Amino acid sequence: MSDKDIRIGVYICHCGENIAGAVNINEVAEFAKNLPDVAVVRDYLFMCSDPGQEIIKEDIRKGLVNRVVVAACTPRTHEPIFRRACEDAGLNKYYFEMANIRDQCSWAHWHEKEKATEKAKQLIAAAVAKARLLEPLEDRYVELNKNVMVVGGGIAGIFAALDLANAGFKVYMVEKNPSIGGNMAKLDKTFPTNDCSACILTPLMVEVANHPNVELITYAEVESVDGSVGNFKVKVRKKQTYVDWEKCTGCGACINACPPKARVPDEFNEGLSLRGAIYIQFPQAVPKKAVIDPDACIRCSGRWFGEEPRRTKDGKPILAPCEKACPTGACSRDEPRDPNGELIELNVGSIIVATGYKVMDKKQFKEFSDSPNVITALQMERLITATGPTEGKLIVPSDIPKYLEWKKKVEKGKEAELEARKPKVITFVSCVGSRDNRYHTYCSRVCCMYMLKQAMLLKEKYPELDIYMFFIDVRTPGKDFDEYYMRCRNLGIKIFKGKVGGVQKLPDERLLVKGYDADLGKPVELISDIVVLATAIEPNTDLKDLARKLGINVGAEGFLRERHTKLYPVDTMTEGIFIAGCAQGPKDIPDSVAQAKAAASSAASLLAPGKMKVEPLISEVNPEKCTGCGICVELCPYGAIEMVEYNGKRKSKINETLCKGCGVCAAACPSKAITLHGFTYEQVVAQIRTIAKKGVIEEV
Amino acid sequence: MEVMEGVPPVINLTEVARTEKEEFEKKVSELIIEFGAENLLACMQCGACASICPLARVGFEWYNKKLIKAILIGMKEELLDDSTPWACVACNRCTEICPRQVSPFEVMFAMRRLMVEELAISTLAIEGDRSLYEHGHAVYMTGREARKKVGLPEKPPTTDSDEKALQELRTILKNTKLAELGLIPME
Amino acid sequence: MISETVSETLKEKLKFGLFLGCNIPFNRPDVEQAMRKIFPALNVEIDDLVGQSCCPSWGTMPSVDVVGWCAVAARNLCLGEEKGIDLMAACNSCYGSLNEARHKMLNNPEIMNKVNEILAKIGKKYEGKAKCRHVAWVLYRDVGLEKIKESIKYSLDGLTIAVQPGCHFLWPSEVYPDKEEDPFNPKVLRELCKALGADAPYYTKLIDCCGMGALRSTNPEKSFTLVKEKLECIKEEIDADLIVTTCSSCLIQLDDAQERLRKEGKISFSIPVLHYVQLLALCMGFDPQQVAGICVTPRDEIIKRILESGKR
Ligand SMILES: Cc1cc2nc3c(=O)[nH]c(=O)nc-3n(C[C@H](O)[C@H](O)[C@H](O)COP(=O)(O)OP(=O)(O)OC[C@H]3O[C@@H](n4cnc5c(N)ncnc54)[C@H](O)[C@@H]3O)c2cc1C
Ligand code: SF4
Ligand code: SF4
Ligand code: SF4
Ligand code: SF4
Repeated sequence: MSDKDIRIGVYICHCGENIAGAVNINEVAEFAKNLPDVAVVRDYLFMCSDPGQEIIKEDIRKGLVNRVVVAACTPRTHEPIFRRACEDAGLNKYYFEMANIRDQCSWAHWHEKEKATEKAKQLIAAAVAKARLLEPLEDRYVELNKNVMVVGGGIAGIFAALDLANAGFKVYMVEKNPSIGGNMAKLDKTFPTNDCSACILTPLMVEVANHPNVELITYAEVESVDGSVGNFKVKVRKKQTYVDWEKCTGCGACINACPPKARVPDEFNEGLSLRGAIYIQFPQAVPKKAVIDPDACIRCSGRWFGEEPRRTKDGKPILAPCEKACPTGACSRDEPRDPNGELIELNVGSIIVATGYKVMDKKQFKEFSDSPNVITALQMERLITATGPTEGKLIVPSDIPKYLEWKKKVEKGKEAELEARKPKVITFVSCVGSRDNRYHTYCSRVCCMYMLKQAMLLKEKYPELDIYMFFIDVRTPGKDFDEYYMRCRNLGIKIFKGKVGGVQKLPDERLLVKGYDADLGKPVELISDIVVLATAIEPNTDLKDLARKLGINVGAEGFLRERHTKLYPVDTMTEGIFIAGCAQGPKDIPDSVAQAKAAASSAASLLAPGKMKVEPLISEVNPEKCTGCGICVELCPYGAIEMVEYNGKRKSKINETLCKGCGVCAAACPSKAITLHGFTYEQVVAQIRTIAKKGVIEEV
Repeated sequence: MEVMEGVPPVINLTEVARTEKEEFEKKVSELIIEFGAENLLACMQCGACASICPLARVGFEWYNKKLIKAILIGMKEELLDDSTPWACVACNRCTEICPRQVSPFEVMFAMRRLMVEELAISTLAIEGDRSLYEHGHAVYMTGREARKKVGLPEKPPTTDSDEKALQELRTILKNTKLAELGLIPME
Repeated sequence: MISETVSETLKEKLKFGLFLGCNIPFNRPDVEQAMRKIFPALNVEIDDLVGQSCCPSWGTMPSVDVVGWCAVAARNLCLGEEKGIDLMAACNSCYGSLNEARHKMLNNPEIMNKVNEILAKIGKKYEGKAKCRHVAWVLYRDVGLEKIKESIKYSLDGLTIAVQPGCHFLWPSEVYPDKEEDPFNPKVLRELCKALGADAPYYTKLIDCCGMGALRSTNPEKSFTLVKEKLECIKEEIDADLIVTTCSSCLIQLDDAQERLRKEGKISFSIPVLHYVQLLALCMGFDPQQVAGICVTPRDEIIKRILESGKR
């Protein structure tokens, strides 16, 4: 039997009740039997099940059919399954066509069974019409670059990088801050085991930095991304540090020299203290290098980089304090420095995005007053940690300046008494900006737990503290989490079901908190020294921009969107790009690490073979027909088309490694010179005509 | 009794905490734990106990769950005036179903014990104890027609007919809080 | 003997200390008399436990002092322990108070020690061996349904019984020596009633509290709302001929409060109420005057019916 002899098998799936509940399967099967070239019609409860696939394979092996039409669910998830079944039975897998009679038919017309049945017939007829015109195609292979870029050096990025580097892949880690570590570096202790964040994170930071397969590129951001899976070309902008990192030893001499006037809020301490214009991000920074914040620098010496120094009367150059303090010459202003930094280009086969999150600022929540003693939970982390602005001494935030004054005096050997007020009452407020239609509708997932953590750490250290916690409800869905919650209750921390709706400043800097207790069914109020707001975890401001550069999606809430919530949780719609950690959505450290490892193994399994099979469903130009108008070149969203010389004429040509088979060019070409394989002009027209004729297939 | 009496429309937690710290020798929750409700702090206010509590059903305000919450936040004065704990039928269905093994019944009774300790009780509440001391029976009747009617001897074989046993019981009672608080004669 | 398992108890002649409590000897002595009649007839020896006192009931020592509660209970338990027998109660309150106290003593050595310090003053010591069994369980597990069936002269064929096991028969199940397999759908009392030939169907509020005890003394009105709900459920769902309980408190509440509700015009039906031991005594042919002679809600008719049409 030759291929010319077309024998189509139509396989109709019940999808349990999903299709059979609305579509009359028998009627549709009878109808399909009479369609041209249809040799076999069968139906089954679940076509995609093993026995279901076996029915198709059996028919192919017996030679009963040589084209396969499955009328079932969506090709997005199931086409690959049936293609493979065809291939296994020895049929070219592109002799397969699918009719979606579930998502687009039975589900959509659940209460109109007759109409649904009619529509199913038409969809199947259209698929058969196309199947008659299918051509065999061969898979292509592309070479893969085995390097991986990890964007973001938080705990997720670090784990992704380490796993890949250990597996032998070269990793570029691009981090926008001077140091890696991310938000975890700011935390005091971590739930649910209360181990010290720095103690478990710092060794990992060092490990990744020293790994022979990892190249750390910090203080840098992705500028643009070209290419596709296996062959991404990424331009990375290394920001200007204004310090020669080759020479900088991280000694910190410059930092102390930078004058008070040049101080700005310290991002690492969440604004609870100030840092100089020249600064090292935090003491455990990796790499531990200084940078100058040009916006904060007041240019003490009156000159900028590369400018002639002013001179003293005796002709000596006047140096900036930092420059003078630096023992290695790293701060020298003699050479000019490009404010735009440096642009480098890297080639990688895969990219993992792990850029994390930021917490909402409290400024937006006017109902909680503008008191400095109302702080975010991340500020609370800084306030209780030994590396924080008060070295972990618990005082009310409005007195931090007093503390710093005192510390300075003591350091200078002076006798001084610390007059900072110690809090007696601390109140926690949950869901600030989360589960709130005005800000974020989602639950930030970690707040309940970190609030409990902070309360527990505080109560264990200062048993005399009165701690009040207000929750809409307490959410502890994790291993050992509810046990953790119980520990808090057993410590005598007072927990209320209800949210705080108002915080008002009292004349003495203390705060009047107005809350509600659903347990007693009454409003409650209290005077508190500190109010901690569990502000929402939200996407970084530049995340959308980064996603656009990478060609991946963000969801309505602004986090990176995974390919499929359940089945492809770390994949994106762009092949070769994976996501991990809080960039994908709020989550805790264990989950961030788990995702990071998943992303690393996904990237590794993609790149390890060195080459990749690509579907041949791409477009091709027939140079004989092409008139060289060039319309297609501009339209291609992937930049896959260029104009080339062909027999002395300008003709368009499609780069098959870049083409994604979207079909825009084929539709636009006025000369019908472009064919999209698998969706040829004839095939598509035959489908449309069949539908237009209500299921009657025209002979061509 | 108006059960929410004394509880203002807005509960001032600062005042509650201040009173607890400055005016009481011990925290209410500590006292309740001491008086037998060992698992008090484990309560997560799920309300399961209230869902089946006969007291909640017939409209007492300070039924198990709510009483526990009030104790947890340090309320006391408001509770000492309330009769709800004395209405608890000790059915223990709450104990059976509490997911945190708090035994809300035990909290109710610890509250009774606290009220007794602070002598915040009605005479009715100790009538049974007095009768127990007097006769060895909380419920005691002098009339014996019923017993005679059914053909039983006038006196049951209890402390009622056994002076030595009654003295034994009194000795025991004299060694309990009843005597300490002067509710029965001391030795 | 102190019964650990059924098989053990069957080896020797059954013997229990008859624990009376307060309500039974003073308010409902017909229940006491019923027990004194049925058990010897079923070959179960009963000991009077001379010198027993109040269990102590919930409103007394349990409301004052945990150790005091346990000490009074322990003295009662000692009376059995000294003779090597378990106690047996027909009142749920006694059953509950004695077993909860025992549970506390067994699980908290500090309480046990303090109790024994007090007991030492009267020359007693409680070792935690003797416990209090419930008459219903003794009949169901130790005597057995077969023996009960053999022993009756009148059967209850055609009668529908609403059972009221009562709270302290069920919870907290942890403290009791015998446990219903499913305390939320108890079957022991239903099986016992069925053994007499009656139908004892499930009804929605079977496990709900009758509202007796402290609730009744603190707020009778509220107490009556509860019992009314229960009685109405019994009437509407299974239209019972008879309510049977194994608790003396439930007996008084269902019997007495029912009459009050009728007088106040809140209910219009009348369902006689009996303790199970009374019903069994009637079926065994004992004198109704002696074993079921005290009630508020009239029983005459039902007793007549049993004796007239139930003869086997
Ligand atoms: C107050 C608070 C307390 C918490 N406590 C706990 C706890 O006790 N236990 C726990 O398990 N979890 C806790 N969490 C959650 C925890 O912080 C996160 O799970 C974890 O930090 C997520 O790691 P990440 O790597 O995904 O993101 P991040 O830590 O945010 O790291 C992202 C990194 O990417 C970098 N980056 C961002 N944008 C770019 C860009 N465009 N280009 C290059 N680099 C970029 C950032 O600078 C950063 O270094 C807490 C969170 C908060 C807010
Ligand atoms: S003083 Fe020089 S070497 Fe030291 S941290 Fe500053 S720039 Fe680096
Ligand atoms: S010149 Fe140097 S010392 Fe002065 S503000 Fe700038 S960075 Fe700081
Ligand atoms: S006592 Fe138990 S059942 Fe009642 S609210 Fe607390 S946890 Fe729930
Ligand atoms: S034991 Fe008391 S508190 Fe518990 S359910 Fe019964 S009546 Fe309510």
